[in-house]
Order: sequence, then C-alpha cells, then structure tokens
Amino acid sequence: MGLLSILRKLKSAPDQEVRILLLGLDNAGKTTLPKQLASEDISHITPTQGFNIKSVQSQGFKLNVWDIGRQRKIRPYWRNYFENTGILIYVMDSADRKRFEETGQELAELLEEEKLSCVPVLIFADKQDLLTAGPASEIAEGLNLRTIRDRVWQIQSCSALTGEGVQDGTNWVCKNVNAKKK
Amino acid sequence: MKHFLRMLFQVCLYFYCKFLWRCLKFVMRKLTGRCELQRICYNTKPGASRTMKIETSLRDSKSKLLQTSVSVHPDAIEKTIEDIMELKKINPDINPQLGISLQACLLQIVGYRNLIADVEKLRREPYDSDNPQHEEMLLKLWKFLKPNTPLESRISKQWCEIGFQGDDPKTDFRGMGLLGLYNLQYFAERDAAAAQQVLSDSLHPKCRDITKEEISKFSKAEWEKKRMDKAIGYSFAIVGINITDLAYNLLVSGALKTHFYNIAPEAPTLSHFQQTFCYLMHEFHKFWIEEDPMDIMEFNRVREKFRKRIIRQLQNPDMALCPHFAASEGLINM
Repeated sequence: MGLLSILRKLKSAPDQEVRILLLGLDNAGKTTLPKQLASEDISHITPTQGFNIKSVQSQGFKLNVWDIGRQRKIRPYWRNYFENTGILIYVMDSADRKRFEETGQELAELLEEEKLSCVPVLIFADKQDLLTAGPASEIAEGLNLRTIRDRVWQIQSCSALTGEGVQDGTNWVCKNVNAKKK
Repeated sequence: MKHFLRMLFQVCLYFYCKFLWRCLKFVMRKLTGRCELQRICYNTKPGASRTMKIETSLRDSKSKLLQTSVSVHPDAIEKTIEDIMELKKINPDINPQLGISLQACLLQIVGYRNLIADVEKLRREPYDSDNPQHEEMLLKLWKFLKPNTPLESRISKQWCEIGFQGDDPKTDFRGMGLLGLYNLQYFAERDAAAAQQVLSDSLHPKCRDITKEEISKFSKAEWEKKRMDKAIGYSFAIVGINITDLAYNLLVSGALKTHFYNIAPEAPTLSHFQQTFCYLMHEFHKFWIEEDPMDIMEFNRVREKFRKRIIRQLQNPDMALCPHFAASEGLINM
C-alpha cells in the first residue's frame, strides 16, 4: 500500500480539472464509456437513475465525467448540470436506426441551449462492434452536423464495449480543452 | 526497504499466529476430547453463527477432505459427513446429533455456493425478444402490475408507466439480464399488493407537508418550481433492476450468508433470493421516503446509504432480512 501511494504522488497532481457532460438517449452507452475509459468492469451496468460521476486522469487533465440518466423524469434536471461544462459529449447508438431521428432532435435541442453555447461537442457514434451499426460519415450526414457553425465539433466512431475509438475521442477532448485555454 | 521489512514481519506474524492456533486446537482437542467441528456444534446455536464457523473451520483445515467438502455435490453430502466422522474418529452412536447438525450446515454452505452459480447463470442470459418464454414473462409482469389496464402493443410508450425507459423494455435489463426480469416478476406476482403499492407511490409523489418556515426559505419562483416538480418519485422497473444489482452483489460478496444461513433450514434456493429481493424493494422504498430526497438525482446517494445500512445489519450473526420468512426454528437443534 505504501509503495502504491508514493507512486501515485509521483504521477504529479493534475493541473487542470475539466467538467465533461455526457448526454444521449437511453441505452446509448453513456455509463459504459467512462467505465471503459477507467478500465473498470462493464458487465454489470444497470440503467442510470439520477447520475454517475467518474473522474479519469488523462494527459495531465482530470476529467470529471458526469453521466446523466435519461428517463423522462430526469429530463427537467439536465439543465441544472449545464453550467461550467468544458466539453459536451453526446453518445448515440449507431445501430439503432429507428431512433436516429429522435437522437438528432435531442442533439439539436441541446445545441440551442444558451448555457451550452460555444461548448465544444464530441459525438460518439457508439456500438460500432455491432454489424448493423452505421458508419460515422453516414451519421454525420443524417444529423446534419455540417451545419454546426458556432463551435468545434467532432464525430468519433467507437465501441464502448471493446474500447475501440474511445481513446481517440479522449485525445480530441484533451486537445480541445487545451486550445480553448490558450 | 522499510516496506519490505514490514511485509516480512507480517508474513512471520501470520505463520506464528497460524502455529499458535494449531497448538491451541491441539490442546483443546486433548482437553475436551472433541474436535473443532464438535466444539462448534456443541457451543454455538444453529443458524448463521454456527454455519459460518463451520465453514471457516472446514476451509482452513489442513485435511484435503475437509477443505473440499465445502464444494461437494449436494448428493454426496451424506457420504462426505460419514467420511469426516470417520477421519475425526467420532463415534456416530455416541454423538447421534452431530452428523445431522453437520449435514444441515454443509447443505447450507454448498447450497449458497450453488445459488451463486444459478443466479450468475440467469444474470448472464440476456433478454431475447425472439424467445417466446422471455416475452411471455415480460407481458406477465405488465399484467401483474397493471391488472386493470391492458397493454396496447408489445412496443408501446405504456412501458414507461411501470418505470422502463423507453417503448421497449428489452434494452433496460442490460447487465442484470434475465435476473432482473425474474426478480421483478416474482415481486409483482407473489407480493402483488405490495408491488402495486410501491409502483403507485413511485408514480405519485407524496404530498409534502410544508411548514411556514420552509416556505420562507424559498423564493416564490423557486417554490412554484418545486411545487410543479412531479419527480419526487422514481422509475419502478429501473429501480427494481438497480436493486437486483444490489442483491446480486450482496450475494456474491458473501454478505447474504448471515441471512440465508438463518432462514434456510437446508440449501438456499432461487426463491429465497427472490424473497430477499422483495424485502429489499420494500425496505428501499421505505428508506427513500424516510430520506426525503429533493429529487431523483439523489438516487445514487440514497442507494449507497441504503447499501451500507443493509451491510451493517448483515454483520449481526442473528440477522435475517425477512422476518416473516424466518424458518430458523425449523433447524434441527442440538
């Protein structure tokens, strides 16, 4: 135990804390993503009531990920978490084509929120491990992402289950937080 | 270096204690003329305290037979007990009760292990909408919870009324798989009145009694907003799946041993586990109301507090989580 705590101290305290808001429809993978990032067990996940917070260290940043449940009852509370958001991550299920329209609408509404204006947005096209998943380019087209002009955005295909693409997304997050601070 | 020395010291201390323990056991055996298993059975009352001591004693024994006895097949228990008695040179004619007591303990120990395997199997089986059995169960769940309202179609917004997230519940079972459905259905079927009460409470926020003092604390706008808030309740089905996760973790960590060894006269079964789930749902609901959370966003805080409370209760060896299912008197007394 002694050795571990010394090692942890040696790793140097993170210089910056970033608040990340994770939103998206239910069953998109919002809870799985940060768990995968922190290399935790992802086989016991249950639907989120309320919210989960997960702190992940990455490239000198302390990323505080707020993952907020998405039942109807919780919707009115989303707004309370918008303040001081460094990055917005929007997660969507790339294989659930029936809900593309719904997810697009939800994203559009979020982007219109005043408190979230100019906040960089990363869209995770999750569940790429499924055969029926649509490619990121197709989703970007479907969601009309090209019309986003007031902020930096990025679409990243990933699989929260296998971890593929998650690190790339995190790198983008760290880079864009940096750019904003400079 | 310091770290290494400390570790070395701990290792030495461990062996020293182990050696002392062996000596003590040897002396006790010579003094009382009884082996450790006998001493436990004669001195401890039946139930969790005895079974847990027997389990530790068997597991830490230096004899291979005793070590493996905790994982034998249930059918082989009788034979195992005979072997143990022979090994320990206990005459069954002089100690007729010992074999019966040991057998009851071993049945519980082996049963608990098998229950973990059964529960794990159910948890790993994902909900499959092409499986008619799964579908039938899901529809039954609706029928038990909403006996007076027919479900309009399999995919329907109505599912939200019993606390699923969307119009198709299949994705909500996730990490708990069929276990979540089994538990919810058991609760809704066997404890119908209670389940419907909990469901209706979770939908209709209780009327808060507000004192003048409290009103003055909020500005008028804030107060209006609060009054409009209808989210003091929670999502019944989702919470059920969350509480399934809690029950599952209690089982796997061994915390539920106290409970099962106290209530199950022989091997605990899946229905014991489901009864425990019903009890937890009940208690959580009461706890939620007592805690009086501001809104659903406090769910994880309340759940964690509830979990700690249950674990604390389970540390008492006389604890049983469902008093009305208590069957410990049925155990064979010595």
